[in-house]
Amino acid sequence: MAEIVYLRMRHRIQKKLRDKVLLKDLAQIVADPSSTAILQDLCIYEVSEKDQNIIVVDSTQVLRKIREVNKNIEIQLIGPAQTIIEVVFKRRAMSIPLFIIVWLLLFTGSALTIMNFHEDVSMQYVHQRLYKMITGKEVDKPLIFQIPYSIGLGLGMIIFFNHVFKKRLNEEPSPLEVEVFNYQQSIDQYVIMNENKESMKKLDDR
Amino acid sequence: MIANILFVMFIGLAWGTTVGAGYVAFLTVFGIIPRLTQLTKTGNKIYAYEWSVVCGAVCGTIAFLREPTFSLPQILLLFWGLAGGIYVGMIAAALTEVLNVFPLLAKRVGVDDRLLILMMAIVFGKICGSLFHWMYFVP
Repeated sequence: MAEIVYLRMRHRIQKKLRDKVLLKDLAQIVADPSSTAILQDLCIYEVSEKDQNIIVVDSTQVLRKIREVNKNIEIQLIGPAQTIIEVVFKRRAMSIPLFIIVWLLLFTGSALTIMNFHEDVSMQYVHQRLYKMITGKEVDKPLIFQIPYSIGLGLGMIIFFNHVFKKRLNEEPSPLEVEVFNYQQSIDQYVIMNENKESMKKLDDR
Repeated sequence: MIANILFVMFIGLAWGTTVGAGYVAFLTVFGIIPRLTQLTKTGNKIYAYEWSVVCGAVCGTIAFLREPTFSLPQILLLFWGLAGGIYVGMIAAALTEVLNVFPLLAKRVGVDDRLLILMMAIVFGKICGSLFHWMYFVP
């Protein structure tokens, strides 16, 4: 009777250029200790200069390699059908000047947009009328209302993103983190469909 | 004459209905209320929050159409301003999130680990821009 090996492909791994991609990197293996020892060091793929920074290894490639070694194994795949290999070239250190430029860009940009927004919705006028409504007096600059308003503006954003510097208000992931995750997930999905030659066959492909 | 009045009333009602529906749709897209219930763990009070938004909108409309004046102490405005600011801040934060600004920027600049500092740039930008606007910019 054929031995059963369970494989679970990992979702996403990182490899350097000219690294060998072994089966244990690509997948979690559940099998007898003896066959695990043989299978885990099986080289499935080698990252070369020809590759771009994303490689998709389909599970069928893995199956073929295993069958080359041993035809007498029955493989059960559980989980994802492919693994995305992210080729990490030299770890690019983020430049501090660039970061400062982006920071200042966001800072001045958001300052400008909030001013535009206030003008756009005539907020000064609204504040003046509100001041008159509450106190019965008329003022040109109801700063007692407007300064707390400005501080609250920043506070509201922090509450929404659930972060006060490193401190969290709550253990749930912030919408920002979820958003970054969703974005990564969409990219992965795209890459799985488009970089993987096995998953789409067009008419003119031979 | 009566037909005229009825017609105007009908237009007013229709106008109000569409604006109200639009306002709620706007709030739904931003998801501020779900976000707040998630933070405070008061998901079962969601209907109370709905009514709070509706009452707030109606009171605001009445206040601006009828212009009542109350002779209340100035200090009340401090809290009102803070609350109003938090609300607008949450909408602004939600807007940047809806537009997917951060994930894109983080990818392009390669600062996945410093998202927080970038977010603080926007937060401080909003506070400073707003203060500058009220204190110096407006005539």
